[in-house]
Amino acid sequence: MRILSIVVSVVMLAFASTALAQVKLTLWSHWAAEKIKRDFVEDAIKRFEAANPGVKIEASWYEKNALYASLKTALRAGTAPDIFYAEPDQVEYMENGLLLDLTPLNWSAIEPWAKEIWSYKGKPYGLPLEASTVELYYNKKLMGEMGIKLPASLQLDAATMLDLVKKARAKNLTPMALGVGDRPFPGAYLTHEALLKKLGPQDYDKLLKGSLSWSDSRVVDTLRLVRSWAEAGLLPTTFTTLKLGEAHSYFHTNPGAVMFLNGSWYTSRAFNAPDKGGQPPGFALGVMKFPAVPGAACNECRTLSVQGSYVANAATKHPKEALAFLNSFATPAVANRWLENVLVQTGIKADYDKVGGPHAGYFRELQATSAGAKYYFGMPIQVMQGKPKEVFTQVMNSAFPAGSISVDDAVKQMNAAYGK
Amino acid sequence: MPVAPRPGEALPPARALPPASLDRQPWGAIIAFLLPAFTIYIALTAYPVFRTLWNSFHKVLPRNEAYVGLDNYAALVQDEIFWRSVQNTFIWACASPLAEVSIALLLALALYAKIPGRRFFRIAWFTPVLMSYVVVGIVWVWIYNYDWGAANAILRALGLERWVQAWIGDPRIALPSLIFITTWMWTGFNMVVLLAALHALPSEVIEAAELDNCGWGAKLLHIIIPMVKPTLLNLLVLSFIGKMKIFDLVWITTKGGPLWSTETVSTYTYKRAFEWNTFDLGYPSTIAAVWFVFVLVAVLGLTWAFRQRDRLEY
Amino acid sequence: MIPKAFLFVVVIVYTAFAAGPFVWVATMSLRTTSEITQDHYAWPETLHWEKFPQAWFNSNYSVYFENSLLVVVSAVAVLTVVGAMAAHCFARYRFRVNRILYFIIFSAIIFPPQITIIALFQILVQYGLYNSLVGLTLVYIAVQLPLTVYILESFFARIPADLFDAARIDGYPEWQIFWKVSLPIALPAIATTIILNTILLWNEFLYAVVLITDEAKRTLPLGIQRFMGDQLEDVGMIATGLMIAIIPVVLIYVFFSEKLIQGMTAGAVK
Repeated sequence: MRILSIVVSVVMLAFASTALAQVKLTLWSHWAAEKIKRDFVEDAIKRFEAANPGVKIEASWYEKNALYASLKTALRAGTAPDIFYAEPDQVEYMENGLLLDLTPLNWSAIEPWAKEIWSYKGKPYGLPLEASTVELYYNKKLMGEMGIKLPASLQLDAATMLDLVKKARAKNLTPMALGVGDRPFPGAYLTHEALLKKLGPQDYDKLLKGSLSWSDSRVVDTLRLVRSWAEAGLLPTTFTTLKLGEAHSYFHTNPGAVMFLNGSWYTSRAFNAPDKGGQPPGFALGVMKFPAVPGAACNECRTLSVQGSYVANAATKHPKEALAFLNSFATPAVANRWLENVLVQTGIKADYDKVGGPHAGYFRELQATSAGAKYYFGMPIQVMQGKPKEVFTQVMNSAFPAGSISVDDAVKQMNAAYGK
Repeated sequence: MPVAPRPGEALPPARALPPASLDRQPWGAIIAFLLPAFTIYIALTAYPVFRTLWNSFHKVLPRNEAYVGLDNYAALVQDEIFWRSVQNTFIWACASPLAEVSIALLLALALYAKIPGRRFFRIAWFTPVLMSYVVVGIVWVWIYNYDWGAANAILRALGLERWVQAWIGDPRIALPSLIFITTWMWTGFNMVVLLAALHALPSEVIEAAELDNCGWGAKLLHIIIPMVKPTLLNLLVLSFIGKMKIFDLVWITTKGGPLWSTETVSTYTYKRAFEWNTFDLGYPSTIAAVWFVFVLVAVLGLTWAFRQRDRLEY
Repeated sequence: MIPKAFLFVVVIVYTAFAAGPFVWVATMSLRTTSEITQDHYAWPETLHWEKFPQAWFNSNYSVYFENSLLVVVSAVAVLTVVGAMAAHCFARYRFRVNRILYFIIFSAIIFPPQITIIALFQILVQYGLYNSLVGLTLVYIAVQLPLTVYILESFFARIPADLFDAARIDGYPEWQIFWKVSLPIALPAIATTIILNTILLWNEFLYAVVLITDEAKRTLPLGIQRFMGDQLEDVGMIATGLMIAIIPVVLIYVFFSEKLIQGMTAGAVK
């Protein structure tokens, strides 16, 4: 009897300790097709598991649209993972109390503007891993062939831009690869970067939030400017149906374009192997600033936004471990590693001088376009919600650049969306 | 054990029992037969309808549901995207059946005229119907590709460069392009039905018309069409109902764009329920409820209108 | 009279139009993407049969296929039994609420999916059946029930009443009448509904997209869509994937075409 009870208690103890020791966290993330970022996160998971034996993290990788659909339904059903990828525009998570309050994290290691973007009612809810600017990538070889020289400021003026478009078309080249087939933001880059420069950060903010009318003459002038580029043949004919991955390939591989307007996370696809969607070997990549807009309030303004972040499920059974994992990202070492490998900005404070690695040259070029920049924090679709966001996506992202809607109609639609 | 009788044969007697009264209804059996079907129906069809209606009067969030009365309905009246999607769906549901059925009739007549190989053609033309809308959507996105798609390639090969378009990228022709796809898909089905109907016609009438030296057009108009009218009407209604429900094709090809030119009620409902930055299920339920009424009214209206011409039996 | 030759030409052109896309996908499925980008319409030079096992094993195709198979076979089996029982009852028994009940089920054919899908989502979540193949199967049964009952009822109704009266006089219990009399005679219609339901459910997309999110539980149409996203427009691979999805349906069709056409059109011919 005694032996039996000893055996039983030993077995129970073993069970209990394994139950205590093995904590399993589930993580769902975007970036299934972006190897560099995926590798980074999986590496971070391995480091965390090594530092915290007894915690295992199981990661599932998705494409963004599929991830969002799964999360929406899983959160409703109560089957959502402990940690998942989110972007700051998903305010519905915070409005419905579905996210864990991340106040205990080490916020001194994180840029204040990034924390601000993820704050809701004064509390932070996301770890801002990925930040990005909108960059104008270009093919150095093709630019040279057209005899366009980039000034030292790395910023063309509007007239040179128009000239470039015409020259490219004359040589049967597409001036700019861009596609809105499966994303709600690339087409809008053209207009919102131009608008930001023309209006300056305060008025631009007003415009996005609905307190400045789209019929403002500065807005209309900027729209006409962008329209003039589009009408000269800036964009591919397949612009409305070209998917994001295809647009990358259109720029650097086939058929090849002079420029590509994309977030600075361009490299997480482009620096993959060519058969995985990356640049061909020896591709002469250059980065320049978005062209200057005539009569602009702030030609050095640009958008800086937080993209891929990680959040924790409010209903997680392991909040301590989830917080610990997210906190493991909040160090300059991690930020530097991110910068060196992923080559895109981050919301975590980094030691910019110490960034080395095999692509340091590209990184310096990237930094050069942000030299002296003033930032507006947030992409339009992160700032807008509901009806204005839907109309912006259809009109400014897709129809307006494609030329399917006139400047006046676009203005009318945008104003109507805000109820004006 | 007794075997199933051939028609006309008498069943062998089972056992020596007094004959059951033919007037007494075997309620036990009736209920047993109907119970499984009705359980499933009530649980997964009838109840959801009422639940959706209930949702439409509430704001339905993950943690709570708040009664909002007619707010959702009021918002719906103002919702231009909803009305645009209603318009698109109705256009689709009217244009596609007309195209499908008329082309199908001509094709059926062609086969009826006893051209060689008609068994093969009948089978070949039926195949588009079998493919999933997902497959059809992907293939047609390729066909409509501006640079290398078959549509533009054929036009260029024929020297019709002027007519080359961005078929699903241009808001003006995106919807017709999609309607073309469903026509492609369903004409074969309609043709097969009409062919069967034609074969069921008494051949003496058609032969008599031929003897009377009626022109081909007159024969068609005055004899054949009236005789297959019930089938024609039936096909129109079926096609109409099918197009009112359409979702898969739009979702794979254009997702409702560009500029809402292909937004249908089903895609809009899905987006409001699962893609907008909100968890609220109340508003999409309102869309579903209003649309339900529209569909019922439309189908009843069509059926009533056609009933005047000919009796459609259920 | 329209010359037969002209009609023949029209017919040939239409056949090219109807079957063309399918043939195009078939040829692309046997070529590599680089070959395709060079010439989208060439006939395959070398038949790359190895792409098929590649598509099957390198993506999750086997999983999607099995899930579809499981769901469709179960749903169709239950549908046939439950639908036949109800149809037999509606067709053969006279009771006052017969036509009303029949109409209630039959009318569901015109219900647009939106009226049920949001609530179905809520219901499945509530009972823990969300994101499960069981839940999807149940929904599929409910979705196809009205059509099944409709097709079978009209067939059962055509069976001469004397057979039933004779059987009843002879003392057969109702269940045996159903099993031994109705079913065997209605076998052609039942075969038709089986084929019809199989094809419709095999291709079903909307309910699957809303009610299944787990990668491991996806059915084939969802899998194809995911495949498309994964492959970043690897046109050759996608074409191979499409062929794998089409082939089962084509096989069913090739073997059962007459029966299928008869069945699908039987309800529509008046």
